[in-house]
Amino acid sequence: MKENKKRDARHKIHIGALVENLILMVFSVTCIFPAIWLFYSSMKTKSEFNTNPISLPSRFNLENYIDILVKSNIVRWMGNTIRNTFFSLILVVAIGFIAGYFISRFRFKGRKLMYGYFMIGMLVPIHALMIPMYVLFTKTGMSDSWYTLILPYTAFGIPIAVFLVESYVQNIPKELEEAAAIDGSSFGRTLFTIILPVCIPILVTVGIIQFFSTWNEFTFALILLSKESLKTVPVGITIFKGQYSTDYPKMMTAMLLAILPAMVVYFAFSKQIIKGMVAGAVKG
Amino acid sequence: MKSSLKPRPIIFISYLILPFLLYTFVVFVPVILAAYYGCFEWAGGPKMKFIGLGNYAQLFQDKEFIRALKNNIYLVVVCVFGQIGFAFLFAMMLGGRRIRMKGFHRTMSFFPSVLSAVVVGFIWTMIYDYNYGLFNSILRGIGMEDKVQPWLANEKLALPLVALPLIWQYIGYYLIIISSGMAAVDPQIFEMAEIDGATGWKKARYITLPLVKNVLLVCVTLCIAGNMKAFDHIYVMTGGGPGTTTNVMAMYAYNTSFITYKMGYGSALSIGILVVSLILVGGIRGIIGRISKEKE
Repeated sequence: MKENKKRDARHKIHIGALVENLILMVFSVTCIFPAIWLFYSSMKTKSEFNTNPISLPSRFNLENYIDILVKSNIVRWMGNTIRNTFFSLILVVAIGFIAGYFISRFRFKGRKLMYGYFMIGMLVPIHALMIPMYVLFTKTGMSDSWYTLILPYTAFGIPIAVFLVESYVQNIPKELEEAAAIDGSSFGRTLFTIILPVCIPILVTVGIIQFFSTWNEFTFALILLSKESLKTVPVGITIFKGQYSTDYPKMMTAMLLAILPAMVVYFAFSKQIIKGMVAGAVKG
Repeated sequence: MKSSLKPRPIIFISYLILPFLLYTFVVFVPVILAAYYGCFEWAGGPKMKFIGLGNYAQLFQDKEFIRALKNNIYLVVVCVFGQIGFAFLFAMMLGGRRIRMKGFHRTMSFFPSVLSAVVVGFIWTMIYDYNYGLFNSILRGIGMEDKVQPWLANEKLALPLVALPLIWQYIGYYLIIISSGMAAVDPQIFEMAEIDGATGWKKARYITLPLVKNVLLVCVTLCIAGNMKAFDHIYVMTGGGPGTTTNVMAMYAYNTSFITYKMGYGSALSIGILVVSLILVGGIRGIIGRISKEKE
């Protein structure tokens, strides 16, 4: 009797474990399935897709890719997105490092005010700025240029960067700079050859956050640019919607190409990326 | 030696001036401009008519604005419960000893949060599509032809259907945050609780929940701030329609300014969004800050 009960309990646990594993597995699969769906549908023809949107392609077929790459501007949009991401990433890391370091290390007048000023940026919803920013950029002739988007992407990356670096530098012992000064190192040299290497881990975090937010940014890219040749990937694929509204496999090919770079980066460095983005979120 | 430890003011200024100017130009000048343009009747051209606070007064009676604000709040509420609720549940499971392939689940569940909202919006538009969407294919497959419909055109269902991808995309994000919060708790506490017979729901409610409360509160603030600025998904999926059923504040401001060219009123709307967001996000932060302090 007692034996039986024990076995029952064990049995129960077994089923519980199975159910939990199953639930998580279903959830994980739904997270990746859309990407897989895009991938195999990109090899289907229009009529194949229309007969059955879920089935696998009947043959290996790259026509959609060739069509999209040759006939559309996606390569150019990709180049624009890479350029914006590259420059804003470098600028945000550099500015975050310098401003974060100064605010953290020195007790100058207006230090708290400056820190607060940078932090307020985190509370400003970017959509409240789309109209005034459109006006400001068109009036100053700064819209529709290669550098247009780099400015807001950098400015809106600054708050979290300053915040993360500021709190990181607090944990670096001052003795580091003092020792360097005794050895005759100038301020600039200490900053870039001694402090900078110590800050690499937090700057990687800043870079990760900036990479994904710039790569996926939509609102400013929609508003500040009208030239098709300057558009970025997220805005570009909204143009496809009109063009290929009846040709789903082509749409899906374009979308797959659009997410591919971020996807490759993510799966190559997923551990660091998850860690970095969560650190940024929780501390911010 | 001294100057290398405490730089002279000129060095200070030269290092900080450019970041400061860029930040001011992009983040603060527009806010001031918006407040100013909000006082005009203006279609974007050279003709501007000063109307004082007229636009701002109109804001309070603008039914569409109120509707959009309500939709934002709806999104906030369903996302707080949907995202953080599921994330907490999954994090409980993921933290248990019975789960296999933990690394796989972490990597996969976080994946949607690095995707572009535009692409996520498109994918779900296709899922809801009338002719070739997954939903309707499944319904046809199981013989429920009568339920087949153009989902996003359904006025009653459009808003929850638009909320679904928003929820789905970020469950993994909060899952990782919460489970890292749980990992920081001394595992002995859980073991002791289990020895005392606390399992399943009881363990979740009386042991885990109080211990990760502060992490959950962080998630709630993030969730509120995130959904007050919902725009990309909606722009792609419905553009605010059918009618105004899925309109959110950002969408409304966009349509007002860039589709109907009421730039003056659009500017006033911008200020409205700013104020509402600051009050809600700031207010919630204040309340949450107080709650988490009280308990310490």
